[in-house]
Amino acid sequence: MGRYVVRRLLQAIPVLLGTTFLIFTLVYWLPGDPIQALAGDRAVDPVFRATMREMFHLDEPLVVQYGYYVQGILSGDFGTTFRGLPVSTIFEGKFQITLNLAMTALVIEAIVGIGLGLVAALRRGKAADTAILAFTLLLVSIPTLVSGFVLQLVLGLQLKTSTGIDFFPVAGTSEGWRSYLLPGIVLAGTSIAYLTRLTRTSLMETLRADYVRTAVAKGMPRRRVLGRHALRNSLIPLVTYLGADLGTLMSGAVITETIFNLNGIGRQLVDSVYLSENSVVVGIVTVLVLIFIAANLVVDLLYAVLDPRIRYE
Amino acid sequence: MKNPSVDTHLLPADSGTIGTEPLLAVDNLHVEFSTRQGVARAVNGVSYALNAGETLAVLGESGSGKSVTAQAIMGILDMPPARIPKGEIRFRGTDLLQLSEAQRSQIRGQQIAMIFQDALSALNPVFTVGWQIAEMFRVHKGMSKKAAYAKAVELMDRVRIPAAKQRVNDYPHQFSGGMRQRIMIAMSIALDPEVLIADEPTTALDVTVQAQIMELLAELQRESNMGLILITHDLGVVADVADKIAVMYGGRIVENAPVHDIYRNAAHPYTKGLLESIPRVDMKGQELYAIKGLPPNLLDMPTGCAFHPRCPFRQDDCVTDVPALHEISGTRSSACHYWREVLDGTAG
Repeated sequence: MGRYVVRRLLQAIPVLLGTTFLIFTLVYWLPGDPIQALAGDRAVDPVFRATMREMFHLDEPLVVQYGYYVQGILSGDFGTTFRGLPVSTIFEGKFQITLNLAMTALVIEAIVGIGLGLVAALRRGKAADTAILAFTLLLVSIPTLVSGFVLQLVLGLQLKTSTGIDFFPVAGTSEGWRSYLLPGIVLAGTSIAYLTRLTRTSLMETLRADYVRTAVAKGMPRRRVLGRHALRNSLIPLVTYLGADLGTLMSGAVITETIFNLNGIGRQLVDSVYLSENSVVVGIVTVLVLIFIAANLVVDLLYAVLDPRIRYE
Repeated sequence: MKNPSVDTHLLPADSGTIGTEPLLAVDNLHVEFSTRQGVARAVNGVSYALNAGETLAVLGESGSGKSVTAQAIMGILDMPPARIPKGEIRFRGTDLLQLSEAQRSQIRGQQIAMIFQDALSALNPVFTVGWQIAEMFRVHKGMSKKAAYAKAVELMDRVRIPAAKQRVNDYPHQFSGGMRQRIMIAMSIALDPEVLIADEPTTALDVTVQAQIMELLAELQRESNMGLILITHDLGVVADVADKIAVMYGGRIVENAPVHDIYRNAAHPYTKGLLESIPRVDMKGQELYAIKGLPPNLLDMPTGCAFHPRCPFRQDDCVTDVPALHEISGTRSSACHYWREVLDGTAG
C-alpha cells in the first residue's frame, strides 16, 4: 500500500506539469497587454514598460517563462502580481472559503443524494420512486442563478420575516458554518440529482446479485441483507463519483460565490483573468489540480478498503 | 439484535403427522412470472416428496422449472414478478407458503439450506469467507465473534479446506472454484439443516473437482441424515448419489423413478432422449444423439403434452390431451399416454 501511494504521488508530477503548462500557454496567448492593463486608458511610460517586461521575463519565449514559473513553485513561491503583491497573500483565506463551501456541498450531496437514491431503489416502481426521479429532473433543470436567488428569498428572508427564524445567512461568511448552508445547497443541486440516480442504479444492481440471494437463503433478516450485504457493494461506484465531484464543486463555485458574496477562489480566478494577472490564474489552477489529485488518491485508497479484490501492489 | 429461537411449536419434531408425512413435500405447486409479454408459467403442478437421509435428483434442461421449484421451497423468489397461485410446500407437515416472512427466515438457513451453482458470484466479494460462515452462528445463534469464527474454522476443516485456520480470513476470490464451492457447502451445513437443496452444485467445476464435491455432499449427508435435493441437468452426476429421480419438462414432472430403474429403462420419451444423449465410449466416432427441437416457450406452452413437438413417438391425442402422471408401480410414475410402449420399447 505504501509503495502504491508513493507511485501515485510520483505519477501526479507529470499531471501537474502538463496541466500547469497548458493553462500557462492559454493565459500567455490571451489578448491584451498586462502592463497596459495596469495603467487603464492612460499611456504607459516606455521606461516603466521596459522595466516591467524585464522583471517579469515577458520578452522571453513561452517555455523559458514557464521554466521560471516552475522554478518559483518548486521553492514554494507562487510569484508576484503585476501590482507587486505576492500571489500567496492573494490566496490567503480564499482557498479556505471555497474549500469550506465545496465540503459543505459535498456533505449535503452525499447525505441527500445517497438517501434519496436508497429510498428510490427500495421503493422501485412505486410512487416514492417516481417522485424522486421527477425531483432529480427538476434539480438538473434549475440553473444556479435561479435556485440561488429563490433560496435567498424564501429561506433567507421570507422565513425570517414570517416566522422569526433567522437560521440561513444570505451573504458573507460572518455566521460561521451556517454561512455555507444556503450556498452549499445551491452548489450541490445538480450533483445531488446525479448522485441520487447513480445510487438508485447501483443499489438496484446489487440487489439482483447472487450473493444477496445467498444472504436471503441464509435466513438473514432483511435489514441485515440490505445494510451489510448489499450496501457495501453498492457504495463502491458512489465513492468514485463523490471524489471526482469535489474538484468539480471547487472549480464550479464561481456563480454561487458571487450570488452569496463569498470571497472565495472562484471569484478571484475570474477577476484575475480580466486583469490579466497571469501568475494568479496559473497559481489557482495549480492548487486546484493538486486538490483534485489528492481527492482522487483518497478515492483510490478507499476503494481498496471497500473492495478487497482491489489490492495495490 | 436479539436472537429469536425457532418456533418449535410451529414445526412439530415428533408429532403424529410425521409418521405418514415425508420430511418435505411439494404438492401441486404452481409458479408463474408476470412479464411484459404475458404470464410465464414456470411450474405447473409439481409434486415431490423427500424423506430424511434421502437424495432426490431433480433432472431437466434449462427452463424446465427445477430451479424455480427449489427457490419456491427456499422462499427466495422475487414476488412480484413471481406468484404462487396454487400448491403447498409442507415441511414437517407445516405449509411454508402460509407462514409469515419472519417465520420463514427462521427456517431458511437453519432447517432448509441451499447451495448455488456459481460459488464465486454467490459468495459476497467484500467479506472474508470466515465472516460469511460465522455470520450463520452470530445471527441465528447469537454467538460471540470469537466463538463463531472458531466454528467457521471447524466447518472449513470438515469440508476439507487445507489450512483452514490460516485461510479463514481470506476473501472468496482468493480460492479456487472447488474450494469456493466447499465454502458454500460449509456455510449451508453450518446449522445442521434437515434439508439441503443443491442447485447445480458442480456445473461450474472441472470434472475431477465435480466428483470430489459430490463425494463430499454424499458423505455429509450420511453423517447428518439430512434430505438432499440435487438439481442438475447432468445424468452422469446423479447415478452414484441419488436414491430417486424426478425428471422435469415444461414445468411439470414427466417421470418419477428410483435411480436404478431409470438407467435401465425410461418410461417417458423425454427421459429416453436424455439417456441416449449421454456420450458413450463404445459409440466413439458416431454422431452424438440430441433431442430435436427447442425447450417449450413458457409464455406459450404447447397444447396437450408439452413435449409433443419434440417427441419421436407422438400420437394424435398427445397434441390435444395433457397426460396425467400415471402410476406404474409404487415408486414409479410417468406422464406419457404411451408409457407402456415406451417402457417395453414398442412405441413409435
